[in-house]
Amino acid sequence: MARQILPVADRAQVRAYARRLALKYPKQLGGALALHALGAIAGLAGPLLLGQLVEAVSTGAPIDVDTLVLAFAGFVIAQAVLIRFAVYASSALGERVLAELREEFVDQVLALPLSTVEKAGSGDLITRTSRDVDALSRTVRQAVPETLIAVVTGVFMLGGLLIVAPLLALPSLIAVPLLWISTRWYLKRARDGYLRENAAYADMTEGLAETVEGARTVESLGLHDRRRARTDTDIARSFAAERYTLGLRMVWFPAVEMGYVIPVAATVLFGGLFYIEGWVTIAQVTAAILYVQQLVDPLDRLLSWIDELQVGGASMARLLGVANVRDDRVSTGVQADGEELRATDVRYAYRDGHDVLHGIDLDIRPGERLAMVGPSGAGKSTLGRLLAGIHGPRTGTVTVGGAPLVDLPLDELRGHVALVTQEHHVFRGTLRDNVLIARPDATDPEVRRALEAVDAWEWVSAMGLDTVVGSGGTAVTPAHAQQLALARLVLADPHTLVLDEATSLIDPRAARNLERSLAAVLDGRTVIAIAHRLYTAHDADRVAVVEDGRISELGSHHDLVAAKGAYAALWDSWHGKSR
Amino acid sequence: MRSLPVSDPGTPDARSPIRFLWWTARAQLVPLLIGIALAILWWLGQALMPYAIGAAVNALTARDSGGLVRWAAVLLGLGGVQAVSGVLRHRYAVVTWLGAAYRTIQVTSRQATRLGATLPKRLSTGEVVSVGNSDIASIGNAMDILLRGSGALVAIAVVTVILLSSSLPLGLMVLIGVPVMAFAVGPLLRPLHHRQQRQRDLYGDLATRSADIVVGLRVLRGIGGEQVFADKYREESQLTRKAGVRVSAMESLLEGLQILLPGLLVAAVTWLGARFALDRQISSGDLVAFYGYAVFLIAPLRTLTEAADKLTKGHVAARRVCRILNLDPEITGGALPVPDGTLADRDSGVVVRPGLLIALAAADPEDAIAIADRLGHYSAGNVTLDGVPVADLGFAALREHILVADNAAKLFSGPLRDELDVRGKARGDDIARALHAACAEDIIEALPDGLDTQVAEAGREFSGGQQQRLRLVRALLTDPEILILVEPTSAVDAHTEARIAERLGKARAGRATLVCTTSPLVLDRADLVLYVADGRVQAEGTHRELIKSDSGYRSTVTRGED
Repeated sequence: MARQILPVADRAQVRAYARRLALKYPKQLGGALALHALGAIAGLAGPLLLGQLVEAVSTGAPIDVDTLVLAFAGFVIAQAVLIRFAVYASSALGERVLAELREEFVDQVLALPLSTVEKAGSGDLITRTSRDVDALSRTVRQAVPETLIAVVTGVFMLGGLLIVAPLLALPSLIAVPLLWISTRWYLKRARDGYLRENAAYADMTEGLAETVEGARTVESLGLHDRRRARTDTDIARSFAAERYTLGLRMVWFPAVEMGYVIPVAATVLFGGLFYIEGWVTIAQVTAAILYVQQLVDPLDRLLSWIDELQVGGASMARLLGVANVRDDRVSTGVQADGEELRATDVRYAYRDGHDVLHGIDLDIRPGERLAMVGPSGAGKSTLGRLLAGIHGPRTGTVTVGGAPLVDLPLDELRGHVALVTQEHHVFRGTLRDNVLIARPDATDPEVRRALEAVDAWEWVSAMGLDTVVGSGGTAVTPAHAQQLALARLVLADPHTLVLDEATSLIDPRAARNLERSLAAVLDGRTVIAIAHRLYTAHDADRVAVVEDGRISELGSHHDLVAAKGAYAALWDSWHGKSR
Repeated sequence: MRSLPVSDPGTPDARSPIRFLWWTARAQLVPLLIGIALAILWWLGQALMPYAIGAAVNALTARDSGGLVRWAAVLLGLGGVQAVSGVLRHRYAVVTWLGAAYRTIQVTSRQATRLGATLPKRLSTGEVVSVGNSDIASIGNAMDILLRGSGALVAIAVVTVILLSSSLPLGLMVLIGVPVMAFAVGPLLRPLHHRQQRQRDLYGDLATRSADIVVGLRVLRGIGGEQVFADKYREESQLTRKAGVRVSAMESLLEGLQILLPGLLVAAVTWLGARFALDRQISSGDLVAFYGYAVFLIAPLRTLTEAADKLTKGHVAARRVCRILNLDPEITGGALPVPDGTLADRDSGVVVRPGLLIALAAADPEDAIAIADRLGHYSAGNVTLDGVPVADLGFAALREHILVADNAAKLFSGPLRDELDVRGKARGDDIARALHAACAEDIIEALPDGLDTQVAEAGREFSGGQQQRLRLVRALLTDPEILILVEPTSAVDAHTEARIAERLGKARAGRATLVCTTSPLVLDRADLVLYVADGRVQAEGTHRELIKSDSGYRSTVTRGED
């Protein structure tokens, strides 16, 4: 795919972030670890007691089996209770950290510069919000606590072994190089492998989403086979990525399994020989063998979750990467003095070296209605976005009251100027929620007035403000969705509005009515309307004709018609025919 | 290793979730069975370890260094068996996991294409996409656990036999103890699953919420309101967190019991074993071995619990997949061949004749959409093609014959040339001609790689007007006998609209075309204009005639201009 993928955080960043998270709740973390440690200590009793039993059996020494086993049972009960609370404490902590993580992530998504989102495609972002958050959930809820448990249990078991028979801890060391080297080899390659795996998976999900969203188009154009082929191609790529990581594990797993069994065999052999030499007792040998054997469990947990930690780390890198997108604005603390919007020598390029705007100068008078017309692709929408402060110009400035728009904090910018495009997404929620977005504290009468201003009250009141719309809710036509978008804008009430074909999906006659009632509500506001319908221009105070990234004509409708330039020609071709 | 995906996933058995899982398993029976065999071998390698350790302890107490070396070597050998069978088992587990997951994606995606226009009416996008995000993993897990789960059963059986043959009372104790332990946690499973389900539902809602935020991001960034969405997300996230804590309250209880119950069994086995050993009924090595067996049994038992859990989750996921698979398209066709001829909608009186460019101007745009949907057989109606009801005609052939191109149609990602020429039948300068007719040449010229440029998801990098013209190019290139265009120029400027209107007739020469529009520029170029009000054709004629003769038509198309 030739599309740009959002950035991914580097290792150091992930590590620093994980450290910060780990230390955020020291009390809870300490408590959970202490419980796990006590549980591990209780678990050390079994091998010790069995060693004594074996010693007694083989030497014939007197021993009280009932008391020993009762003590053993007591330790089991203690261990079970401790572990129960330890697991609960660590999961509760995990849930808390996880919730913070995903909330922070969504905050960052909501702060993403618009241009980035458009380039990256929503699939990548959707996968990050779903699968990566999923993977991270698993890591934070399970892998992290399991790893901690494994480390704590392993450390205490090793401690037990050292206390019971220091000499017998030596044979186990044989396996350390094998485990160390193979694990390092694996981890070095695993991260990139899993990142690739996730990316391939993202494409697969995106492909499915596209098929589902365009299901009707698939049917009408007979694209069934093409969509099937796309699914299969995506799967093939995902499979190749999966196969790579499987190959890594095919090397690592056997090495690790051997790493587990070698210490047991070595302890049996050397323990036996030491015993025959008389260096250790049979109780020590028995306990040591059992400790070493049981050490496999925490070690295995640790290593298998390291794997999962890597997956989580990869997901975390993708989630944190969203924060790495450079903000497209830095608020410099500059204050707007007045409401006058002014563009000076503005140039803009989506790709380096391909300017789509070539030095635009435009002063917008407060309270005027300016219409921008011109052929498709002339740069009207781009100019509109620059005037709304969505993009910053490549060179030149766009200012409101003397302050560059991109130097203002976003909240303040929106107080000055807002943009409504022909994008007609309806959010999941009630109709009321959909209108309240920009001003959540508005009352129902205010909502009603806003809807009336866009001629939408009739159908909205018929459905009811509490009707749930959006994904999974009642369907709303694109035309109605545009009305909702405009009602939002009315409620937000900035002094300058940029309407980029904001009524293009509404039936032309209804659109004109709507624009007139909207104009009444917006009296005194500055409106910049990008329109392909010339009546919008006819009704405006001034018209700017945009051609090839330049403003070729600027003036009132009548002046421009009288000037007999490009606008007049356009007007004739539109209007002359209908007469 | 067999390469995935399979070219034909086959027809899923979606009569019930269990049948679906069984269908998935049967489709990869061979790797599944090999995997199970390897899993058994792997478990046995572990199960026999206590036996070898016991024998080594016996050699040790007898101060038999030769025996000691021998049994240490056996231990190492068992380790080798575990290592090799373990990794091969893993390989087959991954293959079956992927096989099941990919097959599920394939059948879901194929079902989405089969449902077509019915899908958005019956399912939310999130519901289907979540199959890709989480359900396939659950189904894969259900396959994976079959391997280890079966091996665990065999391991338990083998250890039981060894125990019974070494000591009947000890064997019986384990034989009875193990199932008791397994069933003792049973009552916890139902509330656990209940809580897990609740957590999962909330989590699903949360995922839908975040997807909604991502898709609507452009809107939000234009007008503000990020904080409202951040707050809403936070609220739902905290609800999900609480549900998660409730799950872990149950899970931790289960974890505790999984230490307690096997631990008490080990204690009992040790107690009885120690008595027998003191009475010299068994050796001290046997005692160590018995202890080892009892400890070992915890692992396969846990695997069985895990199996119960994963199979349940797989079942839940399969149920959701089945719900999607069991939907049928609302509109289907018959078997009759598709004739050439006149397409007529009896309800409205709209008739589309071959060879003509007909325009439909509706006083209410909803009427135009409803008529277009009926004519294209997207909704049931009283429509005939050459006198035959369209519902009786072969469905695929009908779709090929009649294309309804509306503004809700999506562009797909891929090389632009392929996405425009979707039927792959453009020859020579067909594409250039269609681009010219739709006035879309400038779009292609501005692209870095022209027609070879990759279109991003849903053609987002194109403006609304550009998307509309590209959709028109695509519709023209499919070159259907009957083309029904719904407001094809609503998002382009007047200048471009005039040119498209002029070129459309030529591009569709000899074919039947119906354009639903109220634009005077387009209407003026049509061979015949139908004026529809109140759902019926009220007048027909040329644009100029109707402008003069029909006041309703006049006010519809002149847009009340001064």
